[in-house]
Amino acid sequence: MSDWSKVTRPIPVPNEWTRPFWAAAKRNALELQRCQSCGHFQHPPFATCTQCISIDLKFEPVRGVGTIYAYTIMYHTGDKRFASAVPYASIVVELDDAPGALMAGNLLGAEYTEAKVGRRVEVVFEPLNDDITLPQWRLANV
Amino acid sequence: MWENRCKVAISGVGYSKATRSADIPLAAHALEAVRGAVADSGLRMEDIDGLATYPELPATGHAEVDGISVVSVNCMMAMLKLPNLTWHIQVGTTNIGGAVQQATNALLAGVCKYAVVWRAMHNPSGTYQNLPGNMAAGATQFTGPFGFGGPGQGMAVAYTRWLEKNNQTRDKMATLAVTQRKHTQHNPHAYFYGTPLTREDYFASRMVAYPFCLFDCDIPVQGAVAVVLTLADRARDLKPAPAYLAGYGQRLHFETAGRIGSLSSYMEGGSSSAKLTWERSGFTPKDVDVAQIYDGFSASVIYGLESYGFCKEGEALDFIQDGRIELDGDLPLNTFGGSLGTGRIHGLWHIIEGALQASGRAGSRQVKDVNVSFVGASAPIVTGTTFIFVREPY
Repeated sequence: MSDWSKVTRPIPVPNEWTRPFWAAAKRNALELQRCQSCGHFQHPPFATCTQCISIDLKFEPVRGVGTIYAYTIMYHTGDKRFASAVPYASIVVELDDAPGALMAGNLLGAEYTEAKVGRRVEVVFEPLNDDITLPQWRLANV
Repeated sequence: MWENRCKVAISGVGYSKATRSADIPLAAHALEAVRGAVADSGLRMEDIDGLATYPELPATGHAEVDGISVVSVNCMMAMLKLPNLTWHIQVGTTNIGGAVQQATNALLAGVCKYAVVWRAMHNPSGTYQNLPGNMAAGATQFTGPFGFGGPGQGMAVAYTRWLEKNNQTRDKMATLAVTQRKHTQHNPHAYFYGTPLTREDYFASRMVAYPFCLFDCDIPVQGAVAVVLTLADRARDLKPAPAYLAGYGQRLHFETAGRIGSLSSYMEGGSSSAKLTWERSGFTPKDVDVAQIYDGFSASVIYGLESYGFCKEGEALDFIQDGRIELDGDLPLNTFGGSLGTGRIHGLWHIIEGALQASGRAGSRQVKDVNVSFVGASAPIVTGTTFIFVREPY
């Protein structure tokens, strides 16, 4: 299993578009930007709805369950911050509640060989410091 | 069809030596390539009156110093002091293919007569994607914390999606790497000229970012290539046979920053660019005699073949088997070796090869009876452009 204990993850810097996402994650909740005109969820946050160009966007809670949409297993140790964890699985998750809104993360608590397209995953929250908590993923039977 | 088809041509082409380390400043490589292209056309430097490039350094975490790690239009102007210069530009939303398209437009507008386009690529010392720092700002805040570093991983996630959705295996990609390396042995300018690659080498190579092994990734090099473009009437009076530009396109779709993994973005990017190229030229994929498709990472060829319409979605790795992409196959592909053979010089070398094949100047790797020569000059999603060059104006 990948050893994440010596990894120094770069810490997200929230901005005008992304602050509500990180505020929710700090409360161990998943909230994504949703268009109030057409109901479309999107991630990462953007200035406009990527479906209908509305600027009326709000963050709304979604359930933290979905499937692995895509993944890669990292072997290269060029990025020294992550070198101690190789090989590790970086995954892209599509949430049940937000089709098309793709969230990057790591597959935690499982061998990297368990990462497969279509596997069910659920969110777990990994605090980085007092301000930032990362939504991460583990295999699920839901 | 495009009213300006075959009114502009690529004439001369030039290369610098491609080296692994940056022993001399990049400006010297760019100068060597530009001089080579001008000489190949039989022109004098003072004939050149248009300059265009895309100078970006794709390596992160390295200083961008003009003349050392990039070669901007300003740098080239300062070196050449062209007495008759009338036009220049640098492009942003497209890679080097956009510079070729802008030079085409400038020639058609009559604001220059002989335009030079170059692409110079630096190989910084140390790690190519140098990712220091403990913060992830902007779009990287949703990818960087999870170990998504360079562009290779961004393309690798789309590749696993493609493989597993289509029940395919990465083993089939060995055919691309091995065939392109075979083509490379006909290209003395290429970094891997003189270094063959076997299927065994491919399967024994170390994994970089699954599904990409070492030979799925182009090797970073220091080098430059250049072309001379001019109106067809002028090109006919120059030394080399012209490669007539029958049509071009650029990708019209873009993913919001930080969104990764989506396969449809590659497909929409590639098909939007190709559609313009097919419509403007009047050709279809079936008419193509030889193709160059950008291969900075091998999977880019999959997205290209499928989104440009050479085969159906999910079939590209089967399409490239059984000799189809050999020099005497049904669709000879990346006949100069591709980026996997030449080293990382981005898409201008693909454009050069497309032109050489159309003008019958490809030497021992010349494909027989070429008229329609297709080029996809960048990964379809990011900065994709497409071109068709022909031998016979129509």
